[in-house]
Amino acid sequence: MDLVRILVVDDEEDFLETLVNRLNRRGMSAQGALSGREALKMMEEKEFDVVVLDVRMPGMDGLEVLREVKNRWPFVEVILLTGHGSVESGIEGMRLGAFDYVMKPADLEVLIEKIQQARERKILRES
Amino acid sequence: MLKSTIELARYGIPWLGPAMAFLGGLALLAEGKGQWPAIAVIFGSVLSAGGIYSLLRSLRKGEKERALLDVRMLQSHKLASLGELTAGIAHEINNPLAIIGREAEWLEHLLSTMPPAEGVPRKELLESVREVGVQVNRCREITQNLLSFARKMEPIFQKVDVNRLVEDMVKLVETETQGKGIEIVRDYQQPMEPIMTDPPGLRQVMLNLLNNARQAIEGRGQITIRTRALEDGRVQIAVEDTGCGIPREHLPRIFDPFFTTKAHGKGTGLGLSICHGIVDRLGGRIWVRSEPGLGSTFVVELPATPKRAS
Repeated sequence: MDLVRILVVDDEEDFLETLVNRLNRRGMSAQGALSGREALKMMEEKEFDVVVLDVRMPGMDGLEVLREVKNRWPFVEVILLTGHGSVESGIEGMRLGAFDYVMKPADLEVLIEKIQQARERKILRES
Repeated sequence: MLKSTIELARYGIPWLGPAMAFLGGLALLAEGKGQWPAIAVIFGSVLSAGGIYSLLRSLRKGEKERALLDVRMLQSHKLASLGELTAGIAHEINNPLAIIGREAEWLEHLLSTMPPAEGVPRKELLESVREVGVQVNRCREITQNLLSFARKMEPIFQKVDVNRLVEDMVKLVETETQGKGIEIVRDYQQPMEPIMTDPPGLRQVMLNLLNNARQAIEGRGQITIRTRALEDGRVQIAVEDTGCGIPREHLPRIFDPFFTTKAHGKGTGLGLSICHGIVDRLGGRIWVRSEPGLGSTFVVELPATPKRAS
């Protein structure tokens, strides 16, 4: 099986770098984007399986990015990162087609498991 | 019909009294019984005029609301069938489109290998055929987008640990209820065999039910979440709240699209109808038990594996 191609989107640089490194060390192919716009640009150039997306970001916020991603790449699965959980944005995110959410600080094992389920879903849908 | 009779009675009774006073006063006045009947006539006529006015207004308002609801129902049925229609059309168009594309390619090939002949504008023909190819590709993109839109609504069945999925959603809602006098009680059956279902769909259902439970409670209260596996493998998830409950007359319409009793701007009236739609697609059932003033219990029942092949 090919490596899972993950795009992590978060405006906190340290968090982003750490998470991308840890995912790569765990045998995945992860890249990072510091903003929604950067993420969308990267997705235009390269195919990703799973997007891990921070809900609260300056500029284009996570839900806006999610809407755009699901519109343009409906098969890409999105996992939301919520700072301190908010029911309304959680419901909204699920309604917009997010696969799942993870509360920050994200537990790596939990996140990896969700990434794998999201990837499995993408494969099932494409087959 | 019964409903409109009840409505008539509800709006009719408040002005029935004044109207009687008016008529009675009028009768006494005709017999020449002095000033009290006259007061009754004036008093009664003012009150009953007000009653008639409010009755007419409420009847008109009720009519308007019913008409609005009909339109909205139609709309949501339209939305539901839109997905199927879209997928159907996209499929039907894809085949002829593929043939047009192939023929255009073949024409292009024939034209480009043809020896130049007198009076044949080969370059223009080639350009024209290429343009056909370009436009066919554009149409193909459109149909693919339409298909993926329709496919987005199709459930994808994956192995799901129900207790974990439910707990994830409970935790999210708990961050909102903490410190607000709402206690969350977990009653999960352990262990529980995983089931095959659509995880994001079930998450959406759980979030909606939990959020409704939270909003039904004013002040202090309790939300209890139960999971149970039935003997045949089916799973039941119950969300019970000690909130305001649902009036009996609302129960039959609670899963209808756009039916809402929440304050304006607080709910779209779509939450429960979306839940109903999702649970339906997952091959399950959803129902509610409610006691006004005591609370409501929503139960979602899901099969261990979907009946139809996915």
